[in-house]
Amino acid sequence: MDKAFAARRRRDLMVAAGLVIIAALLPLFVRNVYIQNIMVLTLMYTALSQSWNILSGYCGQISLGHSLYFGLGAYTTALLFTKLGVLPWFGMLGGGIVSALIAMALGYPCFRLRGHYFVIATIVIAETTLLLFQNWEFAGAALGIDIPIRRDSWLTFQFARSKLPYFYFALALAAVAWFVTWWLEDSRWGYWWRAVKDNPDAAESLGVVVFNSKMGAAAVSAFLVAVGGSFYAQFVSYIDPDSVMGFQFSLLMALPAVLGGIGTLWGPMLGAVILIPLTELTRSYVGGSGRGVDLIVYGTLIVLISLVRPQGLVGLFAPRRKVAAP
Amino acid sequence: MTITRRDVLLGATATALVPMAARAETADVAIGVVYPFSGANAQQGVDAQKAYETALDVINKDYDFDLPLAKGEGLPGLGGAKVRLVFADHQSDPQKGRAEAERLITQEKVSAVIGTYQSAVAVTVSQICERYQTPFVSADNSSPSLHRRGLKFYFRPAPHDEMYSTAMFDFLDAMKEKGSKIETLSLFHEDTIFGTDSGNAQAKLAGERGYKIAADIKYRANSPSLSAEVQQLKAANADVLMPSSYTTDGILLVKTMAELGYRPNAILAQDAGFSEKALYDAVGDKLEGLISRGTFSLDLAQKRPMVGKINAMFKERSGKDLNDLTSRQFIGLIILADAINRAKSTDGDKIREAMAATDISGEQTIMPWRRVKFDESGQNNNADPVLLQYVGGKFVTVYPPQAAVAEAIWPMK
Amino acid sequence: MTAETIIQSLASGLLMGLLYGLIAAGLALIFGLMDVVNFAHGEFLMIAMYATFFLFAFFALDPLLAAPLVAASLFVLGAMVYLLVVRFAMRAKANAGMVQIFSTFGLAIVMRGLAQYFFTPDYRSVTHSWLGGKTVSVAGVFLPEPQLVGALVSIAAFAALYFFIHRTDFGRALEATREDAGAVALVGIDKNRVFALGWGLGAALVGLAGAIMATFFYIYPDVGASFALIAYVTVALGGFGSVFGAFAGGIIVGLVEAATALALPPSLKSIGIYAVYLLVVFIRPRGLFGSI
Repeated sequence: MDKAFAARRRRDLMVAAGLVIIAALLPLFVRNVYIQNIMVLTLMYTALSQSWNILSGYCGQISLGHSLYFGLGAYTTALLFTKLGVLPWFGMLGGGIVSALIAMALGYPCFRLRGHYFVIATIVIAETTLLLFQNWEFAGAALGIDIPIRRDSWLTFQFARSKLPYFYFALALAAVAWFVTWWLEDSRWGYWWRAVKDNPDAAESLGVVVFNSKMGAAAVSAFLVAVGGSFYAQFVSYIDPDSVMGFQFSLLMALPAVLGGIGTLWGPMLGAVILIPLTELTRSYVGGSGRGVDLIVYGTLIVLISLVRPQGLVGLFAPRRKVAAP
Repeated sequence: MTITRRDVLLGATATALVPMAARAETADVAIGVVYPFSGANAQQGVDAQKAYETALDVINKDYDFDLPLAKGEGLPGLGGAKVRLVFADHQSDPQKGRAEAERLITQEKVSAVIGTYQSAVAVTVSQICERYQTPFVSADNSSPSLHRRGLKFYFRPAPHDEMYSTAMFDFLDAMKEKGSKIETLSLFHEDTIFGTDSGNAQAKLAGERGYKIAADIKYRANSPSLSAEVQQLKAANADVLMPSSYTTDGILLVKTMAELGYRPNAILAQDAGFSEKALYDAVGDKLEGLISRGTFSLDLAQKRPMVGKINAMFKERSGKDLNDLTSRQFIGLIILADAINRAKSTDGDKIREAMAATDISGEQTIMPWRRVKFDESGQNNNADPVLLQYVGGKFVTVYPPQAAVAEAIWPMK
Repeated sequence: MTAETIIQSLASGLLMGLLYGLIAAGLALIFGLMDVVNFAHGEFLMIAMYATFFLFAFFALDPLLAAPLVAASLFVLGAMVYLLVVRFAMRAKANAGMVQIFSTFGLAIVMRGLAQYFFTPDYRSVTHSWLGGKTVSVAGVFLPEPQLVGALVSIAAFAALYFFIHRTDFGRALEATREDAGAVALVGIDKNRVFALGWGLGAALVGLAGAIMATFFYIYPDVGASFALIAYVTVALGGFGSVFGAFAGGIIVGLVEAATALALPPSLKSIGIYAVYLLVVFIRPRGLFGSI
């Protein structure tokens, strides 16, 4: 292996460890629950975007239907807990596994599609599932599921006022998603994906193995996003089809990666750290006017970043970034 | 409001932006108002804002109305303190509603929260209020499940969908007794919480009272076309069409009905879009004789002149008459402010106690209600719905008899 | 369910489908020209409907008369969007597809925000027009005039588009630019001018659709969202790169939607469209008539 590449990877790992420690200490200084709430959402979107990035960034299979897995995770957890009393931790695992299996089942026919055909397929599959949940009486249909509030407990992962347990869970999830990405970068799968991206002809010779690796990427990506969905269900303690499976989630997962740098290790985190606080603050402080100013600010920013830094903001921070050939 | 140095550092951007309401004079009582101010339902938020500002005016200034807090300025129980509203945008998203409610309580130090238009958002906002022991007034949410969750800080002065639907069926029974032929019903409802709840309640009542459901059509909200749906309504040709639709779908429904030559015998609407000015501006000419349920009627101005005066105040702000939603928002804030006044405190528990002890006679409101008194679940069961008929470009109350000013015209043409 | 219900539903579905085709035509043209999917397409439609409404409200201009004006203003809007935004998005060397998606998506949000800012979020309607509320009845089947005229305009627009692309010099320039932008530069065709005209033309087609839609549909800042996904599916079903595909795609989408609403609860009617799309692309990965 290339020495510079190995050194870079060690450095990445150390930077990540440092960032996790700094993030873990943040709540000691930030007691304001409103800001803590923004931090939880930022970490959650970091994790989601990082997971999305595995399939859409590294594999190049752009999915705008990941809300499907987010919703499946949320619904599996909430249904198991409210109907059968299964603790959310098992629901999380269950939701992740269900989503991973579905991602592979869908990947099989969908990976044959290219470009926009694939993107639209992911959108309509997620929309179809949304409509089915919207009409599924057992799952509460449009009424959704209201997760009953009980005592604060790690067992049921419910905390009435404290944001800290959610904060640390979201931090752990983001760290895991980052680590999986880091690990994949240097795996056989990572090499194949880069090879295919750089040279489409290589795809032909690698055919079957690449196809299988994409299925694997879809499964990993869906699993992590579903865990994020389970987390969201616990965090908000109410879910309904539109608020966990809507198209907007698919976009919100993709946006941080796109703005930060798609297919890069640090892009999703950077994008989320900028985008999520901005969204929340514009809504809170200019959104009450009823005049759509928050939308104008938010949309303009997206246009500007995608035009001015099409390769993502990550390049600004790490000019040395150069992926070594395997 | 106290601002620590840390808050200043972290919230620098936030405070640099336009603050939503004038910052505190010490004695103010802040109330959080959570509505959709952007996105597909922004108009509802904008209208609500006008209704709350009208109520605020009545509370903070001196008016000669027989309404709690109208006379004199501010809240006498708190030494004449003024009420201040802090508006927040939930964009119709339960998660954002939750975050905004939490921000209002912890950052803006509001003493109570009122909202939310969408029932889905009311679920999370009321949960957060419960967690922070802050009273939540569900001014205009009509989902019956909301008050059945064992929340202590939840209060709904207005009726919910089951009460509304019951009134609608009482009316149908009464019309039947008078000799109108009413045997079959067509239910037409959208697929979000509002339509689903309404459709379920109506289907259940129809079964109990022996009406046959000729068609039960659930459609996707904001569909690009309702042709196939209307065709099925037309084929079913029931004696009464009962739509539960928001403004957009309501407009499209009526237009599509005209285009496909479907003229129902009678329309009995579950409010929502059918109380909106925009709908009647668009298709009012096709709705002569439509009956909608509601909790408010401008007819009341004949008996209670203050209703007309308050309507004029609202109209000056918004260019619209008070309707079913805006009247509930107006009275919701009055009831909440009255409780804060009686609590003589901005403490959540004390306000809750005062809210629970609320007993205002219907005469002292702008609503056709018997009284305002909450049961243990926080629901006011004395809020009687009314049925209004659209005649000659205006709504007249036709039911219940004690509120009616005219006989219902049946069938509609 | 009677035969009458089925025939009426399918007739309505066909008319609506032709209208979907017209809405999607501009999207198909722009995509066929430069492989760019315009995620602000629904917002173009929204602006067109507002333009029609304001011409009606302030100048009492009937939507049919307003249609050419609306199409012309949308032409300008489309060309400007290309020159001010998309031109730069296309320069992106890395992940060009995502940059285009998100720059036009951001634009869509801005357009909605601006509409809310300037027009308020209130629901508007063109209350009376030559077409609005009128219906032709043929053997018991009702054909609403707005949709009927919309269908005719749709057919005419596609015929004109076909003629334009295949029979005029400019159309050939479009084709040539699409196939090899580098080579056309050598023969003196300005790529940016061709693309700007292409965007203008695409937007003008949405303008026509918006003017007709305004006669029977409500208007508010988010109205485009109801049609955007259908337009994308219509184009993809027909096949990217084929303008005729969008025409066929529209008809199929309209008919499938109507048929699904008869067979399933109407709240699920979009599922029929989505299922047909997936079925088609799983069998033919480039849509029905696609070349890309």
